[in-house]
Amino acid sequence: MPATAENYSPGLSVEVAKIDKELKKLWAQNEGALTRASLINLAVYSEAPGSLDKNTQLISKIARDHACRAIVIGADRNATENRVEAWISAHCHVSRAGTKQICSEQLSFLLEGPCANLLPSIVFSHLDSDLPLHLWWQGEFHDPMDPQLWAWVDRLIYDSHDWENFDAQMRLVETAQHEAKERVVLCDLNWTRLDKLRFAVAQFFDHPASHHHFGTIESARIDFAPGFRSTAVLLAGWLGAQLNWKIETAKRGNNFTFADANGRKIDITLNERDGEPVSQIVLTSKGIEFVVSHAKGADLFEVWRGKAGEKCTHQLMPAGNNDPVMLVSDELNRGGPHRVYLHAINCVRELL
Amino acid sequence: MSQANDHPNINPLREGLSTRAVPQPCSVVIFGATGDLTHRKLIPALYNLAADGDLPPAVAVVGFARREKTDGDFRKELEESTRKFSRQPVRDEIWNTFAQAVYYHQSDFSDEAGYKSLAERLDKIDTERGTRGNRLFYFAVAPDQFEPIVKHLKAAGLNEACEGSWARVIVEKPFGTDLASARELNRVVRSSFSEEQTYRIDHFLGKETAQNILVLRFANAIFEPLWNARYLDHVQITASETLGVEGRAGYYEGAGALRDMVQNHLLQLLCLIAMEPPTDLSADSIRDEKVKVVRSLRRMTKEDVAINALRGQYAEGAINGKPVVGYRAEQNVDPKSITETYVALRLFIDNWRWSDVPIYLRVGKRLPKSGTEISIHFKKAPLVLFNKEATTLDQNVLVIRIQPDEGISLRMQAKMPGTSFRIEPVKMDFHYGTSFGKASPEAYERLLLDAMSGDATLFARRDEVEEAWLFIDPIEQAWHSKKDAPPLCFYPSGSWGPEEADELLAREGRIWRRL
Repeated sequence: MPATAENYSPGLSVEVAKIDKELKKLWAQNEGALTRASLINLAVYSEAPGSLDKNTQLISKIARDHACRAIVIGADRNATENRVEAWISAHCHVSRAGTKQICSEQLSFLLEGPCANLLPSIVFSHLDSDLPLHLWWQGEFHDPMDPQLWAWVDRLIYDSHDWENFDAQMRLVETAQHEAKERVVLCDLNWTRLDKLRFAVAQFFDHPASHHHFGTIESARIDFAPGFRSTAVLLAGWLGAQLNWKIETAKRGNNFTFADANGRKIDITLNERDGEPVSQIVLTSKGIEFVVSHAKGADLFEVWRGKAGEKCTHQLMPAGNNDPVMLVSDELNRGGPHRVYLHAINCVRELL
Repeated sequence: MSQANDHPNINPLREGLSTRAVPQPCSVVIFGATGDLTHRKLIPALYNLAADGDLPPAVAVVGFARREKTDGDFRKELEESTRKFSRQPVRDEIWNTFAQAVYYHQSDFSDEAGYKSLAERLDKIDTERGTRGNRLFYFAVAPDQFEPIVKHLKAAGLNEACEGSWARVIVEKPFGTDLASARELNRVVRSSFSEEQTYRIDHFLGKETAQNILVLRFANAIFEPLWNARYLDHVQITASETLGVEGRAGYYEGAGALRDMVQNHLLQLLCLIAMEPPTDLSADSIRDEKVKVVRSLRRMTKEDVAINALRGQYAEGAINGKPVVGYRAEQNVDPKSITETYVALRLFIDNWRWSDVPIYLRVGKRLPKSGTEISIHFKKAPLVLFNKEATTLDQNVLVIRIQPDEGISLRMQAKMPGTSFRIEPVKMDFHYGTSFGKASPEAYERLLLDAMSGDATLFARRDEVEEAWLFIDPIEQAWHSKKDAPPLCFYPSGSWGPEEADELLAREGRIWRRL
């Protein structure tokens, strides 16, 4: 049964007009042996060559934890000839109870030429009714963005790390969100990348007795991998937004300064070095260092606090990794709004 | 914009990271550290919390028990059991870090000096590991040990925390064996710990599906208007297990199914099903509504017990095709034992919503299948349109499966395809395991985290426990009265209980739901 096998090709080729009929056939053939499950519509859009196969592979992994109807779209807007092709497939795995095969269905589309503009019509006509639509947009957005599309999207997933011009792209996204009457939740995987790191930093200050450090943090040093400066800046933006710091020097370099409400300066140093996207952050307050450092070769953080050079107890916390499957899964797990993200962006917008 | 400085006790860096209360650094002191519960549940739960990053790094575990052993011995034993019982594979690097904060404190429970040295050790741990003077005492011991432990904790000043810190105690069931002993236990605990410091654990409440009952009822507008005597025919709550008494005969002989399961787990589930909407989701708002349900349970007289309560005991039979012995032939069980291993009750909640809606509870060992579920049976539709010959309309039934295969299903009527008008029941089924790939945390994980966060919502309050005993005691007394005690019924292992239990429903034209 090629359409349900664990492979990374888009599956059974079908006519676009007959997708529903072919899907019914697919499930009828396997009735009893397979259970179809779906909690969301997950549309994935990419213009990268070969994206259909690559995204099919990602969906097959994501669907293990997030039952969905996946709509995978590969587009080539620059092709001169119109071409639309469609495939159907299912990603199945044995349920946790170990008794049933649970399947998520995938519809794949290749859109070439001017018909790539048919994206909203393709997506809307194949949504699983009543379920939310998450649109994972890979790469850069186009100007203008199609307002028809955003009106239906519940969560827009993107990775600002891929953007060449953050400011221009963010404005497009914000315009789209505004046109959708703020209904679309913006989910930046570059922000999700920081979730576990933020968690590890935040836990230092859970006890009220450590809150006084908020008023005495003097500096933050953030180590980031080449290509991940924006991730590091977002992290600094988070600290700034949450602790009411304002940018004092808005230079696009790797050293900048915040000032708190009392005018006290906080120096931020971004340090580029090989490793994880953000491999370490050190906050310094009254001679005490709060350190979160990615353990070498592991998906764990070492966290500790103490005076510089002094021996102190190191703890381990989950760090996650930079795998897109993990990032999207984390994002799908989370739900809810992303107000803190928008605050962080606004705090460091000119540095991104 | 942010929370910084607006709320002095809120960490602004937590905003948006988690919707749950944040667990605080603390030392968890387990009394009965060498016991089964510690090895099978508590340490694996703490390890899993650490592995998932839910445990604050500054958490230490101190095992308190009588046997001689070193920290190293204790850690080694715990590592073995955690590898066996953890829901996720144990990672060496995480275990090693976790285990560094695990200590063993050898002392007799009645040795005052042992508590003084415990206090000193906890102070040292505070300094070394940043546990901030917070202490969570876990009583994983038999209730008869509570008194010396509580007394000595108080004498060592461990029942009270310093300014800005806390001391809490988690008490494992059984919360007494009757009202008098429950009150006595509560008195003992209260002599050193206030009600706000006391967390009575009922692991059923930590299960995902039990928590989902409130969501199902109060986050969906379609159910609540029907959730009353006008539309409901009856409710069944079943907790069945294939296991026999296993190694628990010593405890079970003195307890029986009514005390072991009904007084706590089943009544807690009943409260969640029957309670009114709370004013908010705070611990006391929810528990206020739950206690009203128990308080409204119609108390049974001795005559009522004979009619509405049934007890049974398993005889020999077969489970999954394998012969098993009867209860009286189990090891350490009195060959003339009259301890019940099966209970069926018909009860009523005397309030406006539940007026005259019968609620049937059954719990039993050595039944054909293990499972816990609640089924809400709606009244039949009026037989006006479809009352033709050969058409018998079934009831709509909403089933909440607590374990295993957690989920919810709704049975309704549908026309069979064809030219004739044949109506058959069909089922809409939601399975947690199908829809959500992510495994739920174990009940003990959730409950330990809640206790560290100071959230008592899923723990039983003193008045809930005592009210539950007020309902249970007359049944126990009737069953054990010397004169005219209702008989103990026997059922073969592998059956669905005594035939007399079917009669409890049959006399009103109802049957037990088939699991």
